[in-house]
Amino acid sequence: MAFYVAAMIAILILPVLLVLAASFQGGLEASFGSRRWTLEAYRAIPPAYWDALWFTVRIAFCSTVLALLIAVLAAWGLVRGRLRERRLVSHLVVLPDAVPSITLGVALLGLFIPLGLSNSFTGTLLALTALSLSMGLRFAEALIGNVPEEMEQAAVTMGAGRFTAFVTVLLPVLAPGLTIAALFLFVHNLVAFELLLFISGPNATPISVRLFTDIVDRGVLPQAIAMSAILVYIAIAFYTLVVVTVGVRYVAGSALTRKG
Amino acid sequence: MDRLYDPSYAVMTVSSAPARPVEGASWRERLYYRAFVLPALAVVAFVVLIPLAMLVASSFVDQETGSTTARYYISSFASLFFMRTLGSTIAMALGVTVATILLALPLAYVLARHTLLRGFLIPVISVPRMLPFVVVGYAMVLLLAPYTGALNKALMEIGILSEPTFILFDWPGQALAFSYAGTVVAVAILTGVLMTVDPQLEDTAVTLGAGRLQAILTVTLPLCIPGIIAASALVFSMIVTAYSIPVMLNSRTPYMISVLIYNNLYSLQERHLAYAQTVIVSVLAMGMLVAGQLVLSRFGRRP
Repeated sequence: MAFYVAAMIAILILPVLLVLAASFQGGLEASFGSRRWTLEAYRAIPPAYWDALWFTVRIAFCSTVLALLIAVLAAWGLVRGRLRERRLVSHLVVLPDAVPSITLGVALLGLFIPLGLSNSFTGTLLALTALSLSMGLRFAEALIGNVPEEMEQAAVTMGAGRFTAFVTVLLPVLAPGLTIAALFLFVHNLVAFELLLFISGPNATPISVRLFTDIVDRGVLPQAIAMSAILVYIAIAFYTLVVVTVGVRYVAGSALTRKG
Repeated sequence: MDRLYDPSYAVMTVSSAPARPVEGASWRERLYYRAFVLPALAVVAFVVLIPLAMLVASSFVDQETGSTTARYYISSFASLFFMRTLGSTIAMALGVTVATILLALPLAYVLARHTLLRGFLIPVISVPRMLPFVVVGYAMVLLLAPYTGALNKALMEIGILSEPTFILFDWPGQALAFSYAGTVVAVAILTGVLMTVDPQLEDTAVTLGAGRLQAILTVTLPLCIPGIIAASALVFSMIVTAYSIPVMLNSRTPYMISVLIYNNLYSLQERHLAYAQTVIVSVLAMGMLVAGQLVLSRFGRRP
């Protein structure tokens, strides 16, 4: 049993380690023997890759902020307004999760091309925002549901408007939880691929799409391996942050995983 | 559900009894709150509902004449090539799903029962879950490539292989890549599912004379079946619609349905045919998810 566990862990970690090892060994192959260690592959990363990474970070950041903003407003309306359509809205918002990414990508292409939104920042932003809404709304509903309504009611009895009470009383209470939610959404948006493949173009190339088109057009390149390694560091940083802030328990049972 | 049995929750519900009657909330007041839901609905409508409706509608419209037709569906199902592609995709997805669950279950069981091990290992093996599929593809190339891949080199050094195998660009290569991606997801989900099963139930069976393995198979495993079904459905639909791995590892054998759609869309300019085939694949993938949900609701809620 111990052997099986060790073997499984080794198999699951090995491919990631290979990417890291290869990135320090010139990038084309990995060995754990006597090969020299070098940063050549990292130096070979062209500006186009950094541009794509920077674009991805910007778009992930903007879509996370936008999605959380929309989700918190909606969750507040749904929870505090005791709206009967709460279930319906949850079902609608979860659609981008349930529909395969490739389907949504093909569908978006059909709509975005006539509108001039494909191959643009705005189009990509909209797609990622929609993809993030379900998780954002789930987080926000749970967070708001846990805060007693009296806190806002107290503010309202003293003369604040309901929305003022929401912004000045409720939002500060939600802030820590929303920060964690933002972390999750951000990383998810960072690694989205299949949805964006269809609507991406020269003006809007996320890093995952850039790495993909390069291996298809030109084969395995050292700089692509180095960039893959950088994405591995980002994933490691993400899990470290999650473990430090919310604890390991959250990682174990969660079905949260990359979409496409 | 658990919240109902949580005393603090009961206290909270009592104390926070609505200041205004729930049903008495005026029409105007609801409208006020509804306004805040509108942005969310607008985004979903614009980015999800309208495009999907257009996709389905276009798949029934003839690309040349603009008349309503079902010919794209008929020709897809009548095409031996399409059906073979669909078949190989489903075969791949089913095989990998079964292999994934079988590989992941024992590990998930061990992790669920050992808190310390879990605390250390779960974050480590979760790293691939937050990598783009493309990076998993690169990792597979580094592992399995014929001359430069780590596995081939190791096997040739030991002397098991005299010349490199070319499995990367064939069924086994893709199956391994998918199994890897699937196992990573399944281990995390199944660990969570197994953690919800009370270990005392299993211990009881053991004290009553069952072997440990028998106790696991007859007590713990049946309790996890809903979770296993949910994990399988997730892995299956992920593989059926995966595009990056099939293309990165030689898109010819096995020919996957997503590659076919992409080629129809871009290379062959058969847009509406691609739409129809997208609808077919989506129905298949989402059908599995819905079937999984139905089984879940039938066997009771997720434990």
